[in-house]
Amino acid sequence: MTHTETHGVRLFDLLTLGRGPDHPGPRKEATAGRPIEDLPPPAEVVLPLVQHLGDPAVPVVKKGDVVRRGQKIAEAAGSGVPLHASINGKVRSIDKQAHPTLVQAQAIVLARVAEAEAAGLEFPEDPDWRALEREELLARIREAGIVGLGGAAFPTYRKLRLPPGVTVDTLIINGAECEPYLTSDYRLMLAEARAIVEGARLLARIVGVRRVLFGVESDKRDAAAALEAAAKEVTADGLDLQVRVVPARYPQGAEKQLVTALTGRVIPPRSLPYAVHVVVQNVATAAAVHDAVRYRRPLLDRVVTVTGPGVAQPRNVRAPIGTLLADLVRFCGGLTGGATRVISGGPMMGRALPRLDVPLVKGMNGLVLLTGRGPFEEGYGPCIQCGRCLDACPLGLEPNQVSIRVEAGHATESAEFGAVECYECGACAYVCPSQRPLVQFLQVAKSALRKQRENLAAVTR
Amino acid sequence: MSEAPAPRPPFVVTPGPHLRTSESTAAIMWWVNAALMPTTAWGVWVFGPPALEVILGAVAGAVGSEALANRLMKQRLTVKDGSAVCTGLLLALTLPPLVPWWAALIGGVFAILLGKMIFGGLGYNLFNPAMIGRAFMMASFPVVMTIGWSIPRAWYSRLEAITTATPLGVMREHDLQAALHLIGGPEGWFRLLIGLRPGSIGEVSVILILLGALVLLARGIIRLYAPVGVFVGLAIMTSFSGAAWLHLLSGGVWLAAFFMATDYVTSPVTRPGQFVFGVLIGLLTGLIRLWGGYPEGICFAILMANAMVPALDMWFRPRRVQAAGAPS
Repeated sequence: MTHTETHGVRLFDLLTLGRGPDHPGPRKEATAGRPIEDLPPPAEVVLPLVQHLGDPAVPVVKKGDVVRRGQKIAEAAGSGVPLHASINGKVRSIDKQAHPTLVQAQAIVLARVAEAEAAGLEFPEDPDWRALEREELLARIREAGIVGLGGAAFPTYRKLRLPPGVTVDTLIINGAECEPYLTSDYRLMLAEARAIVEGARLLARIVGVRRVLFGVESDKRDAAAALEAAAKEVTADGLDLQVRVVPARYPQGAEKQLVTALTGRVIPPRSLPYAVHVVVQNVATAAAVHDAVRYRRPLLDRVVTVTGPGVAQPRNVRAPIGTLLADLVRFCGGLTGGATRVISGGPMMGRALPRLDVPLVKGMNGLVLLTGRGPFEEGYGPCIQCGRCLDACPLGLEPNQVSIRVEAGHATESAEFGAVECYECGACAYVCPSQRPLVQFLQVAKSALRKQRENLAAVTR
Repeated sequence: MSEAPAPRPPFVVTPGPHLRTSESTAAIMWWVNAALMPTTAWGVWVFGPPALEVILGAVAGAVGSEALANRLMKQRLTVKDGSAVCTGLLLALTLPPLVPWWAALIGGVFAILLGKMIFGGLGYNLFNPAMIGRAFMMASFPVVMTIGWSIPRAWYSRLEAITTATPLGVMREHDLQAALHLIGGPEGWFRLLIGLRPGSIGEVSVILILLGALVLLARGIIRLYAPVGVFVGLAIMTSFSGAAWLHLLSGGVWLAAFFMATDYVTSPVTRPGQFVFGVLIGLLTGLIRLWGGYPEGICFAILMANAMVPALDMWFRPRRVQAAGAPS
């Protein structure tokens, strides 16, 4: 088997990531010590038909129907996944609603009904769950509506169906929750280590690997210990399960970073981990896979960290998918006076939302409420060539050079400075003393280069 | 549980990342200015009111011309970022104390207009603006720029400023013995360290320059690569002269090494590049001092090395994390 080996760089360098003294700290104190709390079923949930990368689900209920929690309310279409009722409720409407990433999208709105009117479905254990065929495992994962819960929301069954010609020798379970403020994966590892490990074993069987590496950051050693203990408990069945502690430094949990830290292999630009024979799954996804296979339980809830200086009582909450963010904030004591910004996901790679009347979707691992003025509200200055972005970049790219070329209207000349490789972790923009929107400059450069490649391909064809 | 939070739109929507470091460009510039204060105060103390006039003149020229240029170029007013003050101050610190204040003011104007604004302002200039200003003054006011030195004495002494020559000037015109005599014999290195010698306003006290540099190093604003390079380069070149230690301790080497060779805009971005840049400055300085037409060469050495920066940035790149055989 041939690996893409690291070249011109030692593993040590990668483990230490950027060299600069200034980088985003963890800021996880507010919620790290708080166990996951269940949100009582909200009065209303909004379930968008697209919460994943792929085709929208097709509703199989109509307005006025009463549905039970766990019941399928929209069927998977094409490359998508199905959608399930996350509370017992009555279909209030099926129409366009606010969506955290798509601005507006078709959604099924459920109004809560009393338990007597409709009780949630039961999901008893399937006694044969350990002995299922690969295809059946994939079918259950798809049927459960599972998508990558680390934020990407790529349908999990599609990631597990290896493209032709791809061979995989390692499964990585990502427990390196490196985004500042977020603790949802951390608390899940402590609470459900067993489910994560069982899920990982199922995933390993599906992709046909023996080696499973759990990557956990060094500020979550107790979570690593919990996984290790759970890994010892389950029968080995020939699998090689290893829990590895990696340095806690943003962006350690990025796929490229973690794969290199754990295997020494470097994922080429514009490639997936398949290119180095690796599949990466998030810990929450592994736990959901376990539930889907063992109990045929669809993805109905997710753990989300509601935190930041803009919320009164930061918490880790397990909430039904579709819960309005306003209800999550209310459960956490409401906004503080200074709250000015709502971030879906983590504060580094997440996106700002204009409002709180949007639903919690499957891929949303955090809701961070920030105070004070946002970046770029006061504009930004010229590049002073201080070189801090070079020290911050985990890939050794040159955001300074890319940014001045984009500003000068020469975006396509930025390829040699790494515009294509960038995965937009934002570490460069974090340290920039001139507050330059380096991530956005890199995005502009990247799309200009993509267009150039496409034009070239069209001409040479 | 409190009342439902009103959705309260609109919250502020700004592009990520949503966390930013607190250290701004202006903060960095003002830290540099603050770090220059000990040696500035010393210069005023030992060279008296004329030195203060020179400093005020150069800073006023720099700040005033930047404000004017901002207006003419229809830019945001940038003088608050502290960089024009820094340019004016650095220029003044490299001037002889007996330069007339109006000459310093003109120098400050030219430093900003021809050294910085003509390129587009902060970040776009190729050459160190303060050194552009000084070079302009050497061409325009050659006499006062070469004889405007005074003997250090306390601010409160009633003596008129007494003109003199600098150790490097004496060494050039006469010999090492005469230079040693000027600074008080073979133990003169101590006088050089604390700054009791003739010289430019802010370059004389090695210890106070170091004090400021330590602040910047501790705050992570500057790195040691370029300064160390300067000393290495100068030591190599002047080892032929038999008085390397005098070269290393006199003239503007310390001020230049820590405050000009470390200027972000006009120095390379990577560590190896910064070291080579420093060595280049040191070598050129030694070359000019020993065989060139001026007793002190650091100003022109910096300007020449500045011209090399784009090339150094291309030659010394950050180490890329790359897969072997990756499509490029």
